Formats: sequence, C-alpha cells, structure tokens
Amino acid sequence: MASKQEILQMEICECGEKNVDQAIEIFQNSALPFKKAKKLVTGCSKSCCRAALLKLYDMNQFGHIDYDEIGYLINQRLERIKRLSEES
Amino acid sequence: MKSLQQDTLENWLRQFNLLNDETASIEKITRLDLSAKGISTLPEEIGLLTNLVSLNLSNNKLTDLPSSMKSLKSLTNLDMRRNLFETLPSVIGELSLRALNLGGNKLTDVSVLKNNNDLRVLDLSANLLTCADKCLAEDSELRSLNLSFNLIKDIKNLALRLSNLERINLNGNLLEAIPSEIGSMQSLEVIEASDNEIAYIDEKFFDLELESIDLSSNSLTHIKLYKLENLELLTLDENPLSKIEFNDDFAPYLKEFSCDSCQLEEFFLPPSKNLHLLCYSSNHLKNVPEQIGEYVHLSELDIDKNFIIDIPDSLANLLDLNTLYVEGNLLSEEAKKIISILDPEICDIKMKSGITIEKAQKSDLPDMAHLLSILFRIESDFEINYNKQLSGITTLFNAENTDLLVAKHEGSVIGMVTMQRLISSAEGDFIGQIEDLVVKDEYRKMGVGSRLINKIRYIAQEYEYKRIQLAADINNDNALRFYSKRGFRRTNLTIHHF
Repeated sequence: MASKQEILQMEICECGEKNVDQAIEIFQNSALPFKKAKKLVTGCSKSCCRAALLKLYDMNQFGHIDYDEIGYLINQRLERIKRLSEES
Repeated sequence: MKSLQQDTLENWLRQFNLLNDETASIEKITRLDLSAKGISTLPEEIGLLTNLVSLNLSNNKLTDLPSSMKSLKSLTNLDMRRNLFETLPSVIGELSLRALNLGGNKLTDVSVLKNNNDLRVLDLSANLLTCADKCLAEDSELRSLNLSFNLIKDIKNLALRLSNLERINLNGNLLEAIPSEIGSMQSLEVIEASDNEIAYIDEKFFDLELESIDLSSNSLTHIKLYKLENLELLTLDENPLSKIEFNDDFAPYLKEFSCDSCQLEEFFLPPSKNLHLLCYSSNHLKNVPEQIGEYVHLSELDIDKNFIIDIPDSLANLLDLNTLYVEGNLLSEEAKKIISILDPEICDIKMKSGITIEKAQKSDLPDMAHLLSILFRIESDFEINYNKQLSGITTLFNAENTDLLVAKHEGSVIGMVTMQRLISSAEGDFIGQIEDLVVKDEYRKMGVGSRLINKIRYIAQEYEYKRIQLAADINNDNALRFYSKRGFRRTNLTIHHF
C-alpha cells in the first residue's frame, strides 16, 4: 500500500497535470461547487478523472481525506485505461 | 459443549477482536464486519454462523469462498467489494441474498448470479464485464443495479430482463446507443449513463417514467426531447451538442436542466416553467432569450463562459434567483446594471478574486482583534473590548498547540478562525477546539467561511485529532445553519460560565 506522501504525489489529472496535493490545495482555495472547482484542476471540460476528483472534493468539504481511497481510485482508472488501450 | 469447529472459528474471530469473552457465542452473531483485515481465505467453519444476516468482507484479498457458506441460510446482505475475485464462487448462487456488492474485483463472468432470485440490490461496478445479461434471471426482481466502470458495449438483452428495475448505473462503459429494448424497463426511475459513447437514443426511451437522467460525457450531437412526463432532473453536460429540440409535452415537472460544456450556440429553454436550476455554462451562447423572465421559480442560473453581451430586462423578474454565474462573458454595462438590480445572493461577478487562506502572522493580530468585535456583536454572552480581544488573540498566537488562520484580500485580514488542542477523556486523546470563526460583512456569501473551516479541519486531520468541536450562539441562526451544512452535529451539552 502506498504511503500518504506517495499518494499526495500521484497524478490525479493528466489534462491539468495536477497531483493529489495540488488538487487539495485548489479545492481548499475555492468555494465553488464541484463542477466549477473541477475545471480549476483540469483546465478542461473532460470527465476522465471525475471519479477521484469528486471523491477528493467531497472529502475536502467534510474535512477528512482518505488517502488510500484516493490512491485506489486513481490506480483503478489507470488500470482501466491500460486495459482499454491493450484491447483496442 | 463446544465442538472443535466452534473453537476454531471463535479463535479465528478473536484475532480480529470480533468476539469478546462476554458475548462469546457464535450463534448470537447476526452481523460481522471483516472488512480491511488482509484476509485471503476464510475458514471452512464460517458456515457455523447460521444466524448471520449481514457479512462485510470488503477490502480484503479473497479469491474464493468456502463451500460451507451455503449453510448461512439467514445471510441476506453480503459485501465483497474490492477483493481479488476473478470468478464468482458457486456458493454465492446458493445463498438467499437481497443485497450483494461485488464492486472493484476482476470479474468477467457472473452467471452464477442467475440463481439468486431474491436479489434486490446488486453492485457489479469496476469489474471487467463485457455483458451482464447472463447473470440475471429472466424475471429478475432486482430494483437497483450498478454496472458502472465495466466494459459493456450494449444493453439490449440486459434491458429485457429488468422490468422491475428502478435504478441503473451504467456510467463509464462503452455504450454507443440506448436501444429500443430499454422500453422493457417499465419501472425505471433513475438512469446514470455518463462517460460512455452514446450517440443514439431510441424513441422508446422517452416513453419511460424516468425521474432522473444523467447522460453527461457522451457523443450526442443533437437531441430531441419529448414526453418523459415524470422527469425532474436531466444532465447532458459535456456532449458535443449543437442542437436541442424541445416538444411542448416534454417533462412538465422538470426542475433541473444542465448542458455544461457542450457546443450550443442557441439558448434553448425547456417548456417546464417549474425549473429551479438551469445551466448552460461553457457553451457558445450569444443571447439570453426574453422568455427567461417567465421562469419565475428559477433559483440558480449558470451561463458563465459564453459570449453573452446583453441580458434581457425580464431577468429582473426572477425574484427567487439567488445564485447567478455569469463571469467569462462579454457583458455590456446595461447587462451589469440589470444584474445589480436583481442582486442575487451568490453571484460570481460580485465575488472578489485573490482571497487567500494563510497562517496568521504577528502583524495580523490587531486586525484579528477588530474582527472579533463583529463576532461578539452577534454573541450576546460577550462584550466588545478591543484590548481584551487583542490580549486574548496574542496569547493564543504565542501559545503552543494552537492554529490561527486568516483569510486575506489585497493584504487585509477579512476573516479568521482559531483552533486549540484539548484533551478529551471521552475520546482518550487530543481533540481540536474551534473558535472565533468570523468573516467581514462585505465578504460574506463568497465561501470564505467554508474555506476557513475546511482548512482547519484538514489541519486537525494532520494532527490526528479524534474530534473537533465548537460552540455557537443559539440565537445565531446563520452560524447554526452553516455548521450543520458542513457536517457538524449538535450535542446535548451546554456551556456554563462561572
């Protein structure tokens, strides 16, 4: 299992080139609803990283971040991308 | 007298502190939480738990289940998400389950489930399923099905088996169409199908009695909307939509309609005058129609990041509108004037940018002492006394195990919050006492308080405080509502001063 520091450094959004630590910082410095705060992280309107970002946003709203859960969601998406690219 | 098997099971449960000596009777166990225990195999003796109703095996390393589990005749709720199952153990098909969670495994085939006729709630999300129709009985009684983040390309056969289903989640699959067979799902109320490649929706879809539809992040370029007479919520965000057509009979009770980040050049208004939320953010809109003024129940309008110059006077009729996002347009002075007359509670162009949340510096203390006067004006238990406030906040600043945060705008302190460490005998550890959360009047409704409280809670988590607590004046309705919305729970304790 990855450490908290390792998870903080994991890239959560390729489009915006942001890691978990940067995404937390952006969410903490914004009072916008998720759809708008997400665009601050991604810089785009795509939804590829939505699952992990939405979870992180909600965790930030409630003041407790489950780093293992975020790490799991990021890895899950990466595995899925890899599998889809292998199949195509 | 206990059998050897009972002893074995009791000892196995004790290693997880799930059985204490006073209640050491496996016959009495009805619920068992074995989540996140690093378990790779279950003992065969688990079948002795004949009164077990609910079993949580999530977040382990299981690849199989013991066949003795078929003796768990009372088991109705089984959580096996996030294990390492590649095939589903056949014993699952022999259980009378009503709720089953298999999310986050590596399942490619779940045909074992076709014998589970009692299932009402099934979660198969984040697996490797390419189709799910073979897993369900012809006359499935399922009410809720989560198939999100699999590899499903079509739902034709699946739809034919789900006439009783009320809620389906198909997010993150490979669907290219919603086929005519969807018409068989007569009980369907909620469909989530975002993050697919849907470019076609069959007309049968519009005959359903759906209440909520999410089709965001698909490949829809044009959509004609009609019927769906029970619909309250429709999300079409992030589709390459260039045109939406509304029939007059479309969704008379629609409350929320969102087309964020599409490619629309024209502002289409749904026929429902019952609309509460309308979002056309990040499109290519140039005009807002005059008829917007007829949508008098609208409480949130989001049209930011378009090419809008003028806003119709009729917008000022929307007296219930308390949230308006319009930034990123080319608004004329006249349009800004109309918005200022409307004066919604939350409006992005009124919000000040560049507000930062920082740890307080010594030089901030006088400003913080002034801010406390705002708070004490509301809280009747306290008297305003600047010198005492400065002395108090300075003592807090110099004390150990305290955190003082300030919100700043253009170098000035516009908000603050403090936290100090306490020891709780009830929690058996350190907790955080939050105090002095206050924001200057002219910076209210901009989320500054939320940001301060989120940041302080984040710090509390870093310190591993077991709890955070605060006191609020019982007559300060705004504060009570603020804390309640952010998850703070009111306790039965009251504060007594001596």
